[in-house]
Amino acid sequence: MKRIGVDVGGTFTDLIYASDEDQRILVHKTPTTPQDPSVATLTGVEELCRMAETEPASVDQVFHGTTIATNIVVEHNGAKVGMITTEGYRDILHIARHKKPLNFSNYQDLPWQRYPIVRRRYRLTVPERVLADGSVLVPLDEDAVRDAARRLKEEGCEAVAVCLLFSFVNPEHETKVRSILEEEFPEAYLSVSSEVLPQYREYERFSTVALNAYVGPKVARYVDRLDGGLRERGVRAGLHLMTSASGVATPQGAVERPVNLLMSGPIAGVVGGIWAGRQAGFDNVITLDVGGTSADIGLAQRGELRMKHLLDTRVGPYQAMIPMVDVDTIGAGGGSVAYVDAGGMFHVGPRSAGADPGPASYDRGGTEPTATDAMVELGRIPPDNFLGGNMDLRPELAHEAMERLGQKLDMSAEKAAAGALAVLVAGMVQSIEENSVRKGYDPRDFALVAGGGAGPMFAAEVGREVGTPKVVVPRYPGIMAAVGLLATDMVYEYVRTYYDLVSTLDRGRLQEQFAELEEEALTQLREDGLSEDRMVVERVIDCRYVGQGYELRVNAESGEIDDAWLRKLAAAFHDAHEREYSRRFEENDIQIVNVRVRGVGLMEELRLPEIEAGDARPDDAAHHGKREVWFHVDGELKKVECDFYDRELLRAGNKIQGPAVLTQFDTTIVVPPGLDAEVDGSGNVVIDCTGGEAAGVIEAAAEKAEAGGA
Amino acid sequence: MTTEMDTATFAELGRLPGPPTRERVPVDPITMRVLTGAFRATAQEMAGVLFRMSYSSIIRESEDLGCGLFDHEGREICESESTPMHIGSLPWYIRGFMRRLKGKIREGDVIIHNHPYHGASHTPDIAVAVPVFFEGELLGFSAVTAHVLDVGGSFPGVNADAFDVYAEGKLYDGLRLYQGGELNEDLDRHLFENVRTEDMNRGDMNAMIASCELGRRRMVELCARYGVDTVMSSAYDLMDYSERMLRQEIEKLPDGEYTAPTAWLDDDARNRDVRLRVETKVIVEGGDISIDLTGSNAEVPTGYNVPYEGSLLVGAYFAIRTILLDEATFPEYVPQNEGVFRPVKVIAPKGTIFNPNFPRACFSRFCQVQRVVDNTILALADVLPEKVTAGNSAHVNFCSYSGFLEEQQQYWIYLEVNEGSYGGRFGKDGMDSVDNLMANTRNNPIEELDMRFPIRNEQYELRPEPAAPGRWRGGLGIVRRNRFLVDGTYSSEGDRHTDPPRGILGGWDGLTASLVKNPDGEAPEELPAKVTGAPFAAGELLQILGPNAAGYGNPLDRPPGDVREDVLDDFTSIELARDAYGVVIEPGTLEVDGPATEKLRAELRGRHADGNGSLIDHVSSNPSERRPNPISAASERAFSE
Repeated sequence: MKRIGVDVGGTFTDLIYASDEDQRILVHKTPTTPQDPSVATLTGVEELCRMAETEPASVDQVFHGTTIATNIVVEHNGAKVGMITTEGYRDILHIARHKKPLNFSNYQDLPWQRYPIVRRRYRLTVPERVLADGSVLVPLDEDAVRDAARRLKEEGCEAVAVCLLFSFVNPEHETKVRSILEEEFPEAYLSVSSEVLPQYREYERFSTVALNAYVGPKVARYVDRLDGGLRERGVRAGLHLMTSASGVATPQGAVERPVNLLMSGPIAGVVGGIWAGRQAGFDNVITLDVGGTSADIGLAQRGELRMKHLLDTRVGPYQAMIPMVDVDTIGAGGGSVAYVDAGGMFHVGPRSAGADPGPASYDRGGTEPTATDAMVELGRIPPDNFLGGNMDLRPELAHEAMERLGQKLDMSAEKAAAGALAVLVAGMVQSIEENSVRKGYDPRDFALVAGGGAGPMFAAEVGREVGTPKVVVPRYPGIMAAVGLLATDMVYEYVRTYYDLVSTLDRGRLQEQFAELEEEALTQLREDGLSEDRMVVERVIDCRYVGQGYELRVNAESGEIDDAWLRKLAAAFHDAHEREYSRRFEENDIQIVNVRVRGVGLMEELRLPEIEAGDARPDDAAHHGKREVWFHVDGELKKVECDFYDRELLRAGNKIQGPAVLTQFDTTIVVPPGLDAEVDGSGNVVIDCTGGEAAGVIEAAAEKAEAGGA
Repeated sequence: MTTEMDTATFAELGRLPGPPTRERVPVDPITMRVLTGAFRATAQEMAGVLFRMSYSSIIRESEDLGCGLFDHEGREICESESTPMHIGSLPWYIRGFMRRLKGKIREGDVIIHNHPYHGASHTPDIAVAVPVFFEGELLGFSAVTAHVLDVGGSFPGVNADAFDVYAEGKLYDGLRLYQGGELNEDLDRHLFENVRTEDMNRGDMNAMIASCELGRRRMVELCARYGVDTVMSSAYDLMDYSERMLRQEIEKLPDGEYTAPTAWLDDDARNRDVRLRVETKVIVEGGDISIDLTGSNAEVPTGYNVPYEGSLLVGAYFAIRTILLDEATFPEYVPQNEGVFRPVKVIAPKGTIFNPNFPRACFSRFCQVQRVVDNTILALADVLPEKVTAGNSAHVNFCSYSGFLEEQQQYWIYLEVNEGSYGGRFGKDGMDSVDNLMANTRNNPIEELDMRFPIRNEQYELRPEPAAPGRWRGGLGIVRRNRFLVDGTYSSEGDRHTDPPRGILGGWDGLTASLVKNPDGEAPEELPAKVTGAPFAAGELLQILGPNAAGYGNPLDRPPGDVREDVLDDFTSIELARDAYGVVIEPGTLEVDGPATEKLRAELRGRHADGNGSLIDHVSSNPSERRPNPISAASERAFSE
């Protein structure tokens, strides 16, 4: 099978090609085209196929991770959304769960009120009410719906969210609203709650459905263009998109429910980081994937992705009740702009110069100093070897930009540059601590896997601050998310709300539910061209003790539903409950809430060929001389002599002493003074962060911990 | 002599244990950071277990609970970020039951406590505590509090008008449900067979015990990994750190006394025409701060008194920490623990509603504590204008809907916390429709309510009247309609039906709350804020309005463009834009008439320079358009057939 992974970041579009038959792996990178990211994606696929000397038509699958949906929410430039909802409930999105994000604050903002996804003026109500049992108390006022549809059209809305109470029990009213909207306002993107998320809890449902409408029009246009483009080029099974749960969505699924793509990009990065960590021999990893615009931080203990609880799944501050891998994103990247605000405060990011106009040193019209310019100014990025020599940087432009910044801060250009990097690193450290230390994980048990074009520049400093003993820079750090797209099995999940009690279960009906979902899953996997031996269909049931309000996911057996099957299900649930809450109540009845089927397409394990072994001392050919680079030494910013290496020419076993800079096609690895690095058999660069000052503290702490614990 | 001294000290400090005496070892900064995170995460994890596993919606959906780790004298090491009214009460519960159980605690004990004169917040907030032993040493407790549906008082759920503390609920004073790991079956039966909602209480109790067990296990794991001395030293060092951070902020305030305007509570739940006085003075002396409630009303003969330790002190801690270490604006993360309690004292003379004599009932105490917090904020308005808010809703509408199902021979009880709103703030409008100050529960989804209880919700949105005007407007309250589908009773504790939230620095006062039975019927009945056991027949409807909080600063200073936005979103009306803000908006185009606005603003400035006016008068002379509620109309028809 031939597969391509494409990850569209804010600045670059990363691609990886893997051919299972001849074990070939190729990587490629092309600047993102922000106006229409599908342009760069399609060009990249063509270029990569040329490199692989193959036709796009011979590629089986293209896996795609995209931040497009997330960026729309974060940058708040989604569609103008209108809402049609039940009269008497205009403000469900405004009230939310009436709970403040912070306990001890009178000055916090409620983001759903301050930056509403649907402004109150576009939330229109219509008389109707379905009751909890699905019966109709107030029939739908169709004239009111028609008026509302016309008004939203006049107001220039692009998308409409249809959110009526109890539509998950009886969707008739919503279906009717949809058909009226299709008549009156056919150009609108529609997001109907009973279709997008037929689950109870009105605020969470409405919020998810509104977000779906908010990102829908842009995402739909994008996916259509991309899938169309790939099909024109003959890619057999077309496009597959990674979902927020690290599963797979088809183009049609993505257009209907773009909300499932939120967080897609960052999650692929975590998967890629876990894979790279495993290659380097680390099961516990913290992943730091830094692109041009943002940094994504993930954590996996024993190689397992952490999922967020369904009530904690947010995008930015907005609730989206969709299964989601736990990843944190902050606005810090290579393109982050360093600036001084009106009040004299120094900021780096979250605003980014992106790829266009890009950092000042790109000479594409950008004049504001960015983190990349800071690196150039300090001499850590050699200007003549950027992007494998495909792009020349102009250090004098970086210098001018830094000088302008320095004037505002009353300091030299290099001090301003070092300051900007320090601010950026501190933000990453803080966020990693939020996700590890503050959740009770000890960073000393983890390796930091650094990816993205900018991650390896900062990783050693971040690792030293956070306290991870090792930093792993994978073979292809710049495309960690793209690698992640190919480093996981293909998982489709199908879900249906289905209430029943285990004690009085209608076995035939449950069997039917499963059979239908299983057929859907198998059809999809067959369409993807998988052979039967690579298809696995799994059953999952969400259940709880009768009377409880939150469900647990339990794996169920395949096969016929008989007494033995039910006994196993009950036992599995009691076990899961005990694992989660440390208690079990075998005398209580169990309620089934949702049934799920997971269709898994097993992929070949992605394997990189081992690199050639060398001595401790790198080959002379790999050494690209010494240059003066600014570093903090003994608390002072100084120019020190620094070794430069070509990473592509390093061999397994090579040892490198900081200060050193390792350049490669898509990134630059900085090894600060006092730290050492080694190249392992898979070509990973592993930096030892336990040297230097900070390390002394860590070791002392570890020793003390051991002594105390004994 | 000694007794009198003790009483005097107790009245101002509670049963404080003094500084911790366990010997400390130095802890390096990285381990310290790791343990800070582990404590916080453990408390959060405990809360997660409790609300996800529990049965009643008051715990599961509303998260009316608190969880944490405490040392053997009740010093708080960490507590979950759930509802602030619970945060900081557990130390007093622990000290309350330890007065009986000191020296008798064994591994495997499960202790139940709710005595409001021995540290409890109020009777329905039951605490469960499990001792944490490490190598034979009692380090402390893993403990939770949660609001249970019913504690067997005179009326189901809520008992604002109770004769005495025995009538408000069953009292559990340091009872051991498990001793050394063994269940006391007789006590178990006694506990659960004397409440109206046995199954729910049992399910919730199981969740509470599971949560405590998890906390205990995590604490033991930390000690095994890092060493018990390191863990406990970190805990105590962190308390010192939090204390230092708070004292630094107090020291920035000029020493002196800052007095809030007198606040009035509606009534005591029985004597309807007698308002209750709340006097508040904030005293700053160096790094210490006191809230002095001298002059406040004498204790009342109903359940509208405040337990001093478990509720009033908690409110005072909350007020000071929130104003001075606001989590959104203060740059450092200051862990919530014993340290933030230490600089705060409360003076509440014995025999007042804030420090009642045994056996006065004290079931309903939330609104009074809210007013103390609001008054503390208002008292500091002149000295801290950039950190205070205009008058808040500073209430809660906590109510119980209940009935008896003949067929099942079972009670049903549904508890509901209705939200308020925040006053305008320096640089920001007030927050709308949100739990105010010490309340921070989650609302119960309507779809959950309608599915599980014989109640139908018919409206839940922002109330139709405009927001209180100000340079930064006040927050809007909600309107909510619930209809009984079977015969039942309604009880509530609320307030704010007579004394509206107070505007500051030229902002207008807000609007009061109200409760109306059968609002669309021929004889709508206005109910007081505190109702005990009011019968509702099947088909009868209740309408709840939450207060609109007050405005901050002169509304004539609000940019006309912002006023127009408010009009477009119905946060204010064209009439009020004109009368309060001096902004003239064309009704047809909804555009601002610039010249007319300038002229009107000049005129209004001349007339009342302070900007203040009465929203209540404006609303009564400009009633908002009332469309009949289609759901209520359909329900009425269905019930009359």
